[in-house]
Amino acid sequence: MQRDAFSQCHPLTNFLYFLGVIGFSVVIQHPAYLSAGAVGAAVYSLLLYGRPGWGRILGLVPLFVVLSGLNPLFNHYGQGVLFTVFGKPYTWEALAYGMTIAGMFVVMLLWFGCYSRVLTSDKFICLFGRLIPALSLLLVMILRLIPSLTRKARQIAGARMCIGKGVAEGASWKEKISAGMHVLSALTDWALEGSIVTADSMRARGYGGIRRTSFQIYRLTGRDIGLIAWMAVLAAGVIGAGGTGAAFTPVLRIDRPTWGLAAYCLFLLIPPAMQLKEAVQWRISISRI
Amino acid sequence: MAHFHIQNLTFSYPNAQHRTLDGVDLTVEKGEYVVLCGKSGSGKTTLLRHLKSVLTPYGSRSGAVLLDGQPLEQVSQHDQARRIGFVMQSPEDQIVTDKVWHELAFGLESLGEDPKAMRLRVAEMACYFGIQDWFHRDVETLSGGQKQLLNLASIMAMHPEVLILDEPTSQLDPIAASDFLNTVRKINLELGTTVILTEHRLEDIFPYADRVVMLEDGRVTANGSPRQVAQLLWRQESQLFAALPTPARVFYGAGGEGTCPMTVREGRGWLTGALENRPITVNEPESAPTLPETGDPALCLRQVWFRYEKDSPDVLRGVELTVPRGCIFAIVGGNGAGKTTTLKAACGICKPYRGQVEIFGKPLKRYRPGELYRGCAAMLPQDPKSLFVGKTLREDLEEMCRDSEQIQTVAQTCAVAGLLDSHPYDLSGGEQQRAALAKVLLTQPRLLFLDEPTKGMDCFFKGKFAKILQTLKSRGMTLVLVSHDVEFCAEYADLVSMFFDGQIVTTDTPRRFFGQNSFYTTAANRMSRCVFRNAVTADEVTALYRKNRGDGQ
Repeated sequence: MQRDAFSQCHPLTNFLYFLGVIGFSVVIQHPAYLSAGAVGAAVYSLLLYGRPGWGRILGLVPLFVVLSGLNPLFNHYGQGVLFTVFGKPYTWEALAYGMTIAGMFVVMLLWFGCYSRVLTSDKFICLFGRLIPALSLLLVMILRLIPSLTRKARQIAGARMCIGKGVAEGASWKEKISAGMHVLSALTDWALEGSIVTADSMRARGYGGIRRTSFQIYRLTGRDIGLIAWMAVLAAGVIGAGGTGAAFTPVLRIDRPTWGLAAYCLFLLIPPAMQLKEAVQWRISISRI
Repeated sequence: MAHFHIQNLTFSYPNAQHRTLDGVDLTVEKGEYVVLCGKSGSGKTTLLRHLKSVLTPYGSRSGAVLLDGQPLEQVSQHDQARRIGFVMQSPEDQIVTDKVWHELAFGLESLGEDPKAMRLRVAEMACYFGIQDWFHRDVETLSGGQKQLLNLASIMAMHPEVLILDEPTSQLDPIAASDFLNTVRKINLELGTTVILTEHRLEDIFPYADRVVMLEDGRVTANGSPRQVAQLLWRQESQLFAALPTPARVFYGAGGEGTCPMTVREGRGWLTGALENRPITVNEPESAPTLPETGDPALCLRQVWFRYEKDSPDVLRGVELTVPRGCIFAIVGGNGAGKTTTLKAACGICKPYRGQVEIFGKPLKRYRPGELYRGCAAMLPQDPKSLFVGKTLREDLEEMCRDSEQIQTVAQTCAVAGLLDSHPYDLSGGEQQRAALAKVLLTQPRLLFLDEPTKGMDCFFKGKFAKILQTLKSRGMTLVLVSHDVEFCAEYADLVSMFFDGQIVTTDTPRRFFGQNSFYTTAANRMSRCVFRNAVTADEVTALYRKNRGDGQ
């Protein structure tokens, strides 16, 4: 993974940022805002994923095309008829609307891709652990259990293969299911055995006594508070400036962009800007040596 | 005042015929390092579990356990959680959370510590245990040794006065195990924490323990300094004598005089002293009969290269290996060197991208699917639990073969005939290993691979297991085992290979192999190399000593 300056911030800052960008991209259907969002999300994806990020972005293009083309097949409002399909008009207003919806979907996917990289499970738990302590512990334990169980399942399958009980190539589906059931049954036994030990280990360390506190390795610093304030100012700008309205069918009507668009762009660019700033600082400090 | 005082404790599990603990009287002083030993099933774990109320098993009980003079039941759960730390066997299952830092804080969170104080405690522990480097990692990425160290650290973060450890190293390899035990010793020396430990690897802890307590059938049969207990074991001809450190075994076996040596250093001193001014007439054990030449080899690896993923480094880098038929062949080497991967490549689980594997002279690729594992090759996995699917051992064996006569024969060979109706998970570690072996043997392999077969076995079980392997060998089976257990390989293998850096470095008979090495060798060899040549087991050293002293003739 690439090193990312924004990921080093407090989970709350990360969370509010994603709340902002994803929220805005869902609510605002204005094409200028949408394109800005698409560029912002693509840039951040590339920063986070590096070279494989291109694959992710290009992979979304066909999805965008298909989804955009689909809408006019069901939505026949609009005046500019391009051609008719099955006797129904295929209008360019409906196509524009389709592109907006598809764009929104694609941008959301990109943002969620970034979200999962930045807001890892432990950050999520740090944010919501205090609200629902029991649930957050459960989540942590599940996160612990999943990789451990997959590893054990693989181990069991390997061990069974070596005594001639594995799934041979070209086995019938019946054999495959029966082999799978055996692995599952062995895995269940093993996991149950393990869970007794886990329960003992938890009680031995005082679990279930008085109310749990929760340990945090993240600290809300002045920089985080500054960033949050900055995001609040920009978000207020986007909302206050207006000019975000857009209607497609039956008549195309799009507001003229105001300076709210500039505020939106600034909002989107927070992570890349931080990355850039860090890179420049390093360059300067290296050149001083 | 004694830290723990156990008074006439008797306990039996519900529906059990016999008492698991029978009138145990024991005091543990503050800051003491007490080792509890005994065969599996002697009640060690049950006794340890009585020292913490939440872990105490259900059953009928009489007697009392006092902590600092106060009955344990009257000490609040909160206090017990804080004051008594308990480390269990399985490194894997004890961990609750998914991140190292979170696991360190788990106990403190449960005790409702203030977040600020917690931060300091966690930092302190991470430094003390050298965890800083993997503080942010997922626990899934840790090795077994690291996991167990994390369990210890997360308990030490609560600052317990007593540390109770129930066979903490049974799932670890010897190097990780001795690291772990050294950390425990350091805690005992530097922090004054009382340590109560059960362990089957007595070699590592006997020299350091303040006191050794021996349990047999739920009774304390010996209680004293390690030297006293060693002497007692020798006099009683106990089966546990085999678990003592090699120098002590040689000393008593050879009928030495003076104080019993416990470490290799002391052993050397005693041996040179005792043989001083005596001509060394025989300085080498009689050479073992060489293996008869037998046609084409059972297994042959030629220039095998393998890596797990396209971009990952090579694990096997041109492995060359020839295993003659009808022998016990051991592969030793460091952790993560690729020994297990070699086994996997040999039995077809890993497909090498270059090189060739031949089993009984036939390339692996030419075996039809399923043919290889029927009557030809089979592998006993590292964790026997990965083979059990049935409710009883009998069900498990019937999965392999319907013929009840054959099942009886194999069960007898593996000494599990009496355990056929118990659940595989109710068996002890050594019994599980033998049960898994029985299951594997029902495929009637001619070539058997064993991955770390002696892991988690006590000495007594090891001897029993080795006998089974020798029986199999005498029936013409070829056994290839991968092991960390140098002593086991020295005693029972016919050929030993050293694996390093993705290759087999050397292959030789154990006597020549370990005789040449000065670090990677048995304790018996390290102790005796100043006087004898190529003596690698305790029995060989004893025999040479007797010959040169002229006794026993």
